[in-house]
Amino acid sequence: MDVIKTENLVKCYSKNVRVLDGISLSIKKGEIVGYLGPNGSGKTTTIKILTNLLYPTSGHAFINGLDVNENPKESLKAVGALVEIPGIYDYLTPREMLTYFGRIYGMERGKIDERIRETLKSVRLADKERTKIGAFSTGMQRRLAIAKAILHEPEILILDEPVIGLDPKGIKEVRELLREFQKGGMTIFLSSHLLQEVGDTCDSVIFLDKARVVAHDTVHNIRSKAGGKSIIVRFTNPLSETEAKKIETVAGVKGVSVKNGSVQIGYDGSPDTSYQILSDLMKAGHHIVSYTPEVVSLEDFYISVMSDERGVS
Amino acid sequence: MMSTNEDTVSDLFHVYINARFEIKKHVSRRRLALVVVLATLLPIVFYAIPPLFDEDYPDTANEFASRNLLFISTFVVISAAMFAGDSVVTEFEKRTGLSLFSTPQRRTSIFAGKYIAALLATWLAVACYYLVTALEIGQIYGFGEISLGFAKSFLISLLYASAAVSFCYFFSCLLKKSITAMLAGFFVLMMILPIVSQVLNIADVDPWFILTYNGSLITDVLGILSGSAMESVSSFSPDFYVGVAVVVAYGIVFFYMALFLANRKAMEG
Repeated sequence: MDVIKTENLVKCYSKNVRVLDGISLSIKKGEIVGYLGPNGSGKTTTIKILTNLLYPTSGHAFINGLDVNENPKESLKAVGALVEIPGIYDYLTPREMLTYFGRIYGMERGKIDERIRETLKSVRLADKERTKIGAFSTGMQRRLAIAKAILHEPEILILDEPVIGLDPKGIKEVRELLREFQKGGMTIFLSSHLLQEVGDTCDSVIFLDKARVVAHDTVHNIRSKAGGKSIIVRFTNPLSETEAKKIETVAGVKGVSVKNGSVQIGYDGSPDTSYQILSDLMKAGHHIVSYTPEVVSLEDFYISVMSDERGVS
Repeated sequence: MMSTNEDTVSDLFHVYINARFEIKKHVSRRRLALVVVLATLLPIVFYAIPPLFDEDYPDTANEFASRNLLFISTFVVISAAMFAGDSVVTEFEKRTGLSLFSTPQRRTSIFAGKYIAALLATWLAVACYYLVTALEIGQIYGFGEISLGFAKSFLISLLYASAAVSFCYFFSCLLKKSITAMLAGFFVLMMILPIVSQVLNIADVDPWFILTYNGSLITDVLGILSGSAMESVSSFSPDFYVGVAVVVAYGIVFFYMALFLANRKAMEG
């Protein structure tokens, strides 16, 4: 069953400003899905509609089969959300703020106390439980917002740019937290500008551009389709141009060039050919230090998808 | 899916949780303490001044109460502006609504909770003002001198407070900046409506439909003419029943208009 689903979401702010133009997407239980796109492509608007912060001009957003805008009380029970950079009640303490949200999610007092301790510990704020939030740094406020999102142990986590304002350690911790949540069966839908993060964290990605979905696939498929079609090989002693040319005769090799002491070998991209080339090079007596099939990053794919959309060759 | 009854119960529970949270916020921001201190100090000033200047207290308890309550409507407006003036707009302006409105509850529950908290806080302040005044009457004239008029004045003050809170709350839902919303509610109640009322008076039109004009019922029910400069040019005085009806109408109409506006507000931008 799709736990998150949208059908032809359209959002217009005026006749000429169409922020979403028929967005349809579906996310299955337990998936971690990245939502990528340039600024103004409609990522945050989609997330705001999914969390009932905005109403669509037309179309529907569903959580667990329930229309979010028609039945927010039931549908949002399963959701923990972090949207943009939310403001803080700077005159309250994390305990006071989280107690309120716990009560709204229908948690028992004992459970709220337990979860406040657990979540604050998981975001490294355990010792700040009774400190006024106004005294927190931006990163601490961000971590507190994440604690709020996971307080009620939601089935679904919707995160909009979750690592903005976090230091590298904080980013790493969020990534680990997300992995932990996924192991527990949580479904995670996150938008981010950090493609590397999305590539490392997500199972699949949805690319959005100009208010429309332009690609939706698994990270693995995207990388395969985009095709890393070269292998970088390093030898104990850098090869000369002549020695390198000899490699062109190896079966499956489509071209060779020497770069900074290493050799770049062109091939068809298949793992079998890659293995065959490696075996033949070893048999030919080459002393290989490293053999790395080139991995196409999400950045490369992102740029190629966006260029296609814009008709850039 | 919940039944209609369960749904209503959970809505009411959310209203209660929201009202409690708002009161917690008023306490944390020390606004409640500030207003309660003001509500205690103002009547104490009226109690302390006559002995300090070797003057006698008024002859009757009602005269004393009438003098003490000269500033009650101003005080009500200050309280209403502080508790209701920014309660909704601030969630949008400071972006705290991004966390609040994405929770599983109806927006009406959030806004009703906020309104109730502002109302209770203002009522508490008014009650403090009357309590201190009643204690002073008891000390000077004896508790037996506390009249029915004084009790009626208290009830009218509570009604007037409800209308003032609704009015300020309406601006909080209408405008986009907290400070503008607070000042708009305060100045309309303190200056614009009294000026309109005076202009109508001069034009020989009974301003029965103006909220602040009916605020003078608070002291009128004590049966003492306050003789302020503003009232000396007035050729009209509010009718008790019409006045109460107008105050109640302001409270209800502005509350519903505020709810309507608040529910339409979106977290854009």
